[in-house]
Amino acid sequence: MAKGVLEGVRVIELGPLIALPLTGRILAALGAEVIKVESNRVPDVMNYLPGWGMGSGRPEYDALKRKITLDVAHPEALPVMHKLFAKSDAFVTNFREHILKRWGIGFPEVRATNPEIIIMWQTGVGGDGPYAGYKFFGYPSQHACGISLMTGYPEDEVTAAETSYSDYHTALFQLMALVAALLRRKRTGKPSTIETSIWKAGLVTVGPDMLDFQANKRLPTRMGNRDPYASPHNIYPCKGEDRWCAISVFTEKEWEALCDVLGNPPWTKDSKFSTLLDRKRNEDELDDLIGKWTISYEAEEVMERMQKAGVPAGVVAKGQDLYESPQLRARDFYQETEYYIPDFFKPGIEWETAPQTTIIGRVPIGFSETPAKVGRYGRVGEDNEYVYREILEMSEEEVKRLTEVGAIR
Amino acid sequence: MAKEAGEERLLEGYRVLDLTDEKGVYCTKLLADLGADVVIVEPSSGSRGRHRGPFFHDEPHVEKSLYFLYFNTSKRSITLNLEHPDGQAIFKRLAKTADVVVETFPVGYMKTLGLDYDALSGINPKLVMTSITPFGQTGPYKDYKGSDLVAMAMGGYMQITGDPEKYPVRLGNEHSHYPTSQYAALGILGALYYRDITSGRGQYIDMSLFEPIIPYHLEQHQAAMWKFQRQNPIRVGLHSYIGIPLGVYPCKDGWAAALTTTDKEWDGLAQWIYEVTGEKAVLDEELKGVWGEGRRKRRDEVIAYIMRLSSSMTKQEFFHQAQKRDMGFEPVNTPEDILNDPHLAASGFWVELDHPVVGKLRYPRQGPFCGEDIPEIEKAAPLLGEHNKEIYCGELGFTKNDLVVLRSGGII
Repeated sequence: MAKGVLEGVRVIELGPLIALPLTGRILAALGAEVIKVESNRVPDVMNYLPGWGMGSGRPEYDALKRKITLDVAHPEALPVMHKLFAKSDAFVTNFREHILKRWGIGFPEVRATNPEIIIMWQTGVGGDGPYAGYKFFGYPSQHACGISLMTGYPEDEVTAAETSYSDYHTALFQLMALVAALLRRKRTGKPSTIETSIWKAGLVTVGPDMLDFQANKRLPTRMGNRDPYASPHNIYPCKGEDRWCAISVFTEKEWEALCDVLGNPPWTKDSKFSTLLDRKRNEDELDDLIGKWTISYEAEEVMERMQKAGVPAGVVAKGQDLYESPQLRARDFYQETEYYIPDFFKPGIEWETAPQTTIIGRVPIGFSETPAKVGRYGRVGEDNEYVYREILEMSEEEVKRLTEVGAIR
Repeated sequence: MAKEAGEERLLEGYRVLDLTDEKGVYCTKLLADLGADVVIVEPSSGSRGRHRGPFFHDEPHVEKSLYFLYFNTSKRSITLNLEHPDGQAIFKRLAKTADVVVETFPVGYMKTLGLDYDALSGINPKLVMTSITPFGQTGPYKDYKGSDLVAMAMGGYMQITGDPEKYPVRLGNEHSHYPTSQYAALGILGALYYRDITSGRGQYIDMSLFEPIIPYHLEQHQAAMWKFQRQNPIRVGLHSYIGIPLGVYPCKDGWAAALTTTDKEWDGLAQWIYEVTGEKAVLDEELKGVWGEGRRKRRDEVIAYIMRLSSSMTKQEFFHQAQKRDMGFEPVNTPEDILNDPHLAASGFWVELDHPVVGKLRYPRQGPFCGEDIPEIEKAAPLLGEHNKEIYCGELGFTKNDLVVLRSGGII
């Protein structure tokens, strides 16, 4: 099997929710050995989100990891954590500073154990400043970043996306910074401590608007699916319930091609629509006219006809469209994998022993030499033996003892 | 370029040739802000980003695009006509000096120039080359045209954005360019690590605009929900179905987001609502619990309680008081709020960069990183061709007169 780009890198991951586990899952897909430290005493709440236990979530965040049970709050877990640090290249966590200190794994202690370890600390708002210690989460941060005020319907004040916006941005920043820190450590011998912030990771995605306000005192407006510099640029209703096709025309050539697809009805020759500025000025009417054409066709057919003529167009996809997408299938995007369902009523303690099947997405980086890996989602504690006995070289008696006192559980 | 502490920069010493439009311009910004030497290779008219709004003082001008200024901090700029054979020859000489090439042209275009990965890796086997296209280099849609709207639509993001009673909408920040750029930057760094540690050779990375959007709304997992439950997700408006509460609530002067993620946080919120409104029912045993099955059943009622609380104060009061009670509430901010935020100012989020044409503006510092080792952004976006002399004469050994000839020949 081809190697991953991060072959030989070992990472200790400690923390719940979305951004942090996703970081580890992508590291693992890139070939790193990621040891996820968790405990059946306080399982990640994400295991219990409605729908997640049914395969629609957790494997995407934890596949391919080495999963051990260790209750970091237990005093006897402390030396084990430090053994892990000593044998690892990086430590990634999203716990707050005072909690890590309480457990004896504050960053100075971690660094004292392993002077070369790279520390990646995910925070809400950063370690310093007036809001230090505040909780910021990925989903509401779409609002604190200003996305929701510039998104959606002109007649509303605010619009939300049903997703944890900043978690994904934070995870990718962590990944980039971690690999960059590995490169730097190789070059200079020096490790890095890097802090990321859920809020700030989202804020940098509205950069041009921050400059626009400074330069022109302009606040962004909600334009639905229109674009300030293109027309037509919208989604258009198609046959069926809640079916739409996006069409975006940026050039004169694309406009002419669109008119051809529509069969060049007389209105397309109307001077109201002959230039970009005309089309912008009469955009409501233009969108209506295009929508009257698209409504007679399936969304896929609108897309195909437009694309064949060279007009950027695409179906507004739902789950079925994604699952059945010929493009994603041709590129092996979704892959089958195994996972285990937690028992909702006995949190984490009794996991079903028989695996279920689900699908997870390929990490969307098309390496020519080192393809990203896809693999299974193991049970909590499944890799205790491997990690404690083989990596940490602990004796069988020691593991047994730590299990009995409740440090390993 | 290199300053004393130069070695400290995370990506010091790596050179990137930047042939990107809006699909990849954020990828190269990330690499540049982390310390790589990113050289934008622009046509003599300037890259596309220089021609799009918003503009400084609303004056269209190649040096005044705020869009370009934001996405090109820390980079250098040279002009080069890649469609001219002499320009292609110069690009090959540059490729010998580079670690990375990032390009966003349509599938096959680089091959027509003789500058595809096969050609360039023949010259420089250590080169990592990344192409970002709407749908990738393979598959039935590889020649389909894309845009932010098309990618957000086909990537499933619009289906979950907006109001159930209305149409799906894209995010207002041309969001699709961020996921692909972030994954591309990660792929590039990973490929460099593999090259430097293991293989000694570069590789090619095929990125699409479309696929990386899917893991940016990953918790919905739309495809699995369809495959196993025959369900499609719906738009939910301002109140999520993932948790209750998880939504946006009106305040005296705007909006704020509220959620609870533990039993303790719900108990704290219920107590707070009770203290402010005197509403006893909010303390009901049935409503307790981390994901609140009881709250789910009485969803509208719970939302109404929180609205009574939120609308009794300003969004800043609601935000700070909640945080003091250890709940992760956040204000709904405008760019103006963000620019005036005391925490961001105090924690060094901003850096003021001086640009010879537009002057001083505040930019987000260091991306989101604040570690001791992360280089600060030091340079505003380059002027068009600002580094021609530095690179063509200083590095490739052209004379000043050669530049005059190349310029007159339409090559630089």
